[in-house]
Amino acid sequence: MKKELLIIITLIFTFNLITLAQQSKSRNSDIQIQKTWARPAVKYANSALYFVIENRGGKIDTLIGAQSNIAEETEVHESFKKDNDKIGMRPAGRIAIKPKSEFEFKPGGFHVMLLGVLKDLKIGDKIEAVLLLKYAGKIKVKAEVRDMPMTKEMK
Amino acid sequence: MKLRYHLFVIILFWGCKERLPVVDDFKNLSYKLTNQNNQEIIFPDFVKGKIVVMNFIFTNCPDICPLSSNNMRLIQEKLKREKVDNVQFVSLSFDPENDTPEVLRKFADIRNLDLSNWTFLTGDKFVTNAIIKKVGVMAVTSDSTIFKSGRKIYYYIHTDRIQLIDIEGKIRKNYKGSTINVDEIVADIKKL
Ligand SMILES: [Cu+2]
Repeated sequence: MKKELLIIITLIFTFNLITLAQQSKSRNSDIQIQKTWARPAVKYANSALYFVIENRGGKIDTLIGAQSNIAEETEVHESFKKDNDKIGMRPAGRIAIKPKSEFEFKPGGFHVMLLGVLKDLKIGDKIEAVLLLKYAGKIKVKAEVRDMPMTKEMK
Repeated sequence: MKLRYHLFVIILFWGCKERLPVVDDFKNLSYKLTNQNNQEIIFPDFVKGKIVVMNFIFTNCPDICPLSSNNMRLIQEKLKREKVDNVQFVSLSFDPENDTPEVLRKFADIRNLDLSNWTFLTGDKFVTNAIIKKVGVMAVTSDSTIFKSGRKIYYYIHTDRIQLIDIEGKIRKNYKGSTINVDEIVADIKKL
């Protein structure tokens, strides 16, 4: 009798653990990172990382920052236009990722700036970075170094 | 006789309408600069007799500036395919303190740029400033990042420009570097 009870308790406990694990996994996977790529850069120069963040969940999330081991500093930036023919770049602050929506980081818009890369990033190299989201937490991003994304996306 | 004269004027007028107007002229001006191989270059003398496609860059800009450089590459490739030679590509840095010849050479190398008819230029800030002022390009520092090592880099707000210069050193047309229509500038080059 005692033995059976123990088995039942163990089973319930294990089941709960699995459910918990699945829950945290499904919450994480509400945020999907796709179409990643990064710019080439020589050591100590700057690169930029691009991707599409998809929020599949029903709740707003917020990109609060980024980290990487491949650059001295990693910052979320935004390029902007001024007076029709001028362009500039500035820190972007926090970015809200609305539920059931996509947010694109692309040239001329938002990018994760990799400042002072610690080694040459050549075309074809693979890099990793981490995005920090308010609810989804840390999300690992893998990207290939390319000179341009697909031309269709550029137009 | 009179008819012939009229015809001449009409043809002349049509011809002018087709041709690109002169925006500005480098005539009698020369600037001492340095290329990506650390060689002294006199601009625009070194491109005399060639059509020049020129853009204005700082290599610390990894986002929107590479669009301009990549468009330069696309123009270069299209001209090569269409067997249009006598065109020289020039990228002038307006951030020469950071963009040394070595930095420029590495910038080109890591992007596999074809430097057979493409020159990167840097020089004294006094000189690069004089050139961009002459051609109507603005570049002012805005935000900066300070590294833990103490190294500081600046970002510029700057004119997004690719410029077409004819064989006589006359500026004939300005385009937006990041969004230029490659077909348009190639057609314009063929008109010169
Ligand atoms: Cu940036």
